[in-house]
Amino acid sequence: MRREIPVGLLYSTTGAYNLIGQDCLDGALMALEEVNANPSYDFQLSPKIANPGGNIDEYQRLTEELLRKDHCKQIIGTVTSISRKEVTPIIEKHDGLLWYTAPYEGFECCENIIYTGACPNQHIVPMFEQVIPEFGNKVYLTGTNYVWGWEVNRIARELITSCGGEITGENYLPFHSTDVERMIETIRETRPSFILNNLIDSSSYALYRAFYSAGKTDDFFRPENCPIISCNITECELEEIGYDAAEGHLSISPYFENLNTSENIHFLNKVYKKRSKKRPVSAFFVNGYATAYYLAEAIKEAHTDDIEAIKNGLFNRKFQTPLGETEISSKTHHAALPYYIGRIKSQEGFEILPSRSQAITADPYLVNFDATQFAKNVNNIDLVSTPSHLTPPHLKVVK
Amino acid sequence: MSVFRTPNFRGDRAVILHRPDDNIRRLERHLDRLGIESTVVWPDFNMDSTPADLVFFDGDNGYDGLFPWSKGNPPVPLIALISSEAPGRLEWMLSQETSAHLIKPIQSSGVFSTLVIAYANFAKRQEQQTQIRTLENRISNRPVVFRALLLIMECGQLEDEAAFAILRSAAMNNRQSIEEFASRLDHNKAIELVNSFSADKGMA
Repeated sequence: MRREIPVGLLYSTTGAYNLIGQDCLDGALMALEEVNANPSYDFQLSPKIANPGGNIDEYQRLTEELLRKDHCKQIIGTVTSISRKEVTPIIEKHDGLLWYTAPYEGFECCENIIYTGACPNQHIVPMFEQVIPEFGNKVYLTGTNYVWGWEVNRIARELITSCGGEITGENYLPFHSTDVERMIETIRETRPSFILNNLIDSSSYALYRAFYSAGKTDDFFRPENCPIISCNITECELEEIGYDAAEGHLSISPYFENLNTSENIHFLNKVYKKRSKKRPVSAFFVNGYATAYYLAEAIKEAHTDDIEAIKNGLFNRKFQTPLGETEISSKTHHAALPYYIGRIKSQEGFEILPSRSQAITADPYLVNFDATQFAKNVNNIDLVSTPSHLTPPHLKVVK
Repeated sequence: MSVFRTPNFRGDRAVILHRPDDNIRRLERHLDRLGIESTVVWPDFNMDSTPADLVFFDGDNGYDGLFPWSKGNPPVPLIALISSEAPGRLEWMLSQETSAHLIKPIQSSGVFSTLVIAYANFAKRQEQQTQIRTLENRISNRPVVFRALLLIMECGQLEDEAAFAILRSAAMNNRQSIEEFASRLDHNKAIELVNSFSADKGMA
């Protein structure tokens, strides 16, 4: 009998942002199942599932339970930054390890967290580098009223200011609010080059739908003229948005289902055997999967689930994942990740635009960010240092 | 000029005045993540041989004479590392003009915000010190201004308000502060001033 190691899976699969929670959970469970069926791992990972139901007050209690009652030292979980911040002190108190798989706003480096999702130098910065030369530098910022939206929009504001652009408006909605009409009117009046959408859940879906409706009578509201861009919209939310409303808009992600690599094709074949091909596979699913694998590999290396030993087994080695080759830095606890920019193409998911696929090292505090170089890149001043994918034939020079 | 305002400490040098231990290793690890190079020193600290852009110090075991500068006048932001909250210790830390503090055991969370607060507090204090010096200087020059004012009043048989207006506009024309201008004003110059002022008035 192989020894059993409990692993907490803390995801809201009901309530707000349940679609994302479900995908993260399903991906992690698929990896745990594979590990448990594979005799080369001399242990069993036993999933302990906890569902806070999107209720922020439940996170601390459930984390405490996973750590104390279920004796989990490892918890894969939380999607929003609020919930991560909520559970961090509990995890630290019990010296557990939280595996956080979602993209987030950066400026954190906790010794008790492994960050496998993208941080700003892996999402908003490359997104802007690609979008500004193509669409222009007048941006409308929006978000849900909490730290993700505030901080990503703050970084966006700095990026835009440093390249001589303009913020045409910035508006926030409370959680669950679908009151997006005023935003549509501001957009109509101020005519930005593109919209940065940091709304989450139903508010975000409402924005795409209202934008789509406006596009029926005003051509400005068409994605080819003024796209909505996002750092966290994936395949798992397209149906809920409505394929017609989502069509043509852009998102950046370390993974899209349409990624044409042998690792991904091999991976998808495994997924399609388990669940309907109609259910799209998102970065949340894949990162849940990859993260559970990082954990399993680190335990295999360490022969224990003690967290210091696990870190030693985890850092500075390469992992072959459906995302491509990844690595987790001992310095920052963050994963190096590739990025892709995808254009939503109805039920087919994302059409991947030419972008670099080499993993970018995470820089959670933007220590190595160079605003001058950024401005040069997006303003197309220094073509020598501009990656070739940033100079498509239809590029507009922005002065 | 860069408009990127996100706090960035890349290239800064920190001196940590503390016995090396696990806390300090965690602190150094996190400073490294923020692009700050750190040196641990205890207790002999010399700014010339170990230049620093900021200094962390042991608030629990620190003492007068630990720092190579006069008490309460740190040339760089000072951050106290504390576990003892004994009022006497806190009083001592405050007397050193500490810009911010971190509670031991040191965790990675908290370091970034403490640095941001420490740098901002330090900059604000520097700015206030400069303002205070300017104001003090002006106050100490009051008798000089008063003497110049009397001189102009006397030479031109003027009321105080009119005399002050002449003094102020003359200082402005010379691109000097009133205090500076007043300190160089003698009887002859005062007569000259009053005359040119009357001529201007006559022309108008």
